[in-house]
Amino acid sequence: MASTPALLELVSVSRRLGGHAVLRGVSFSLQRGDVLGLLGVNGAGKSTTLAIIAGVSSPDSGAVRLDGRDINDDRRAMRERIGWVPESVPLWPELTVAEALDACGRLRGLAKSARKAACGRELARLELEGVARRLCGQLSLGLKRRVGLAQALLHEPDLLVLDEPGNGLDPVQAAQLRALIGKLAPQRGIILSSHVLAEVEAMCNRVLILHHGRVRHDAPLDGPRGQLDARFRAIAAQPESAAA
Amino acid sequence: MSALTIAHIDLKRLAVRPFAWTLAGIALAMMAWQFLLGLSAFMHAQPSAPGPGSSPGFTDAVVAPYLLNYVQLCLVIAPLITMQALAGERSAQRLALLAASGASGAQNVLGKFAARLAFLWLLLMLVATMPLVLAHATHPDWGQFAAALLASALCVAALAAIGIACSAFTPEPALAATAAILIGEALSLIDAGVRMTGGGGGWLSWLALHTHLEAAMRGLVRSEDIAYFLLIIGLSLALAARRVATERERD
Repeated sequence: MASTPALLELVSVSRRLGGHAVLRGVSFSLQRGDVLGLLGVNGAGKSTTLAIIAGVSSPDSGAVRLDGRDINDDRRAMRERIGWVPESVPLWPELTVAEALDACGRLRGLAKSARKAACGRELARLELEGVARRLCGQLSLGLKRRVGLAQALLHEPDLLVLDEPGNGLDPVQAAQLRALIGKLAPQRGIILSSHVLAEVEAMCNRVLILHHGRVRHDAPLDGPRGQLDARFRAIAAQPESAAA
Repeated sequence: MSALTIAHIDLKRLAVRPFAWTLAGIALAMMAWQFLLGLSAFMHAQPSAPGPGSSPGFTDAVVAPYLLNYVQLCLVIAPLITMQALAGERSAQRLALLAASGASGAQNVLGKFAARLAFLWLLLMLVATMPLVLAHATHPDWGQFAAALLASALCVAALAAIGIACSAFTPEPALAATAAILIGEALSLIDAGVRMTGGGGGWLSWLALHTHLEAAMRGLVRSEDIAYFLLIIGLSLALAARRVATERERD
């Protein structure tokens, strides 16, 4: 019997930016229900990896597959299965939260009734009903992140890609984010990046450490905390020549 | 569908931006002043004209130069309203967000162009309303009026397309506006030397914007003029779309 393909699979993905190798043969896979934490110091290649998965950047070599199909086969169809929230949370500052969600629904090709239902669902799920009429440009960073997440979830994607979702959140907002990711995980695959080990440990069931564009560690998060901490520190301390 | 959605979003955003309203207000105030000056000069030049049949023409003397003035003003307004379209969106990562939601480079460019064009054409309609309110008293030449309006609309669209292309190729909105103003002015002045020496024709004249406006301002719609403006629009948008489509390879 043929085995079911992974929800997401990266095969030897490489990417150069400005003459510098940002990713060097990155390979890993993700199953539905997985919450994979992409850990690494600044410049390790986390955001580039996530941008490639989201389809907004393309690899120089290698392949990205969703359920066994290359994401470039039918870009539109593939992107309808991915929700992406970049680190800077790009919102339209002149639109209200409700208008921004409606605009995203339109861009995703949702019909009017489906759009209305999806916007209502996400406003409730992300607890944004109280700010639905406020301009996106006037929101706090925590609220902006929630609106970004609502935009990414509007079309119920199979794969959620979150770039540094905990950046700039206060402890209460961070706890809310952890609870939300816990609720979202069973129906889909989630991949998130962070450079904070504690954050990854709190939200993920698997961790992948990237360093100088290479995968240096990929394992479930079930060992003692100190062990991973020591490993991350050891990897992060390695110079680029050691990674190559 | 995506292009229409992007146009819809951008129009909504333009509608709440003080910058767009300020620009529209200043443009309309300047055009109203110019219209009054033109009208005043026309009335002083013809104190004893016996009737509409023998007058040199309200459309010739007031409307055509007035619409030409709007086109001249658009050499600055179009770059200012288009500078943020792609350059600003890129730096705020909103272009990536649109790409992630499945919008292609061409859809992005078309949507943003359509929104800016709607703004500039709305201004043109308001500008054109000023001579229209005097229509019952001035008996304008409707054919000439329509031809001048069509040429102005096409020229404004060409300037907007150039602005969008500059916005696609530059990282900073201010750079985009500067580049678009320079290209517009270059197209406007490219044959100034030839004209000053009384020459004409040739490829320099063909490249110049005003060569393709003059006939229409006299009431003559020529297919070569329409083709010229469509060529600029098509070329600019195609270059911009290509640039946006290849962002994935660069970023």
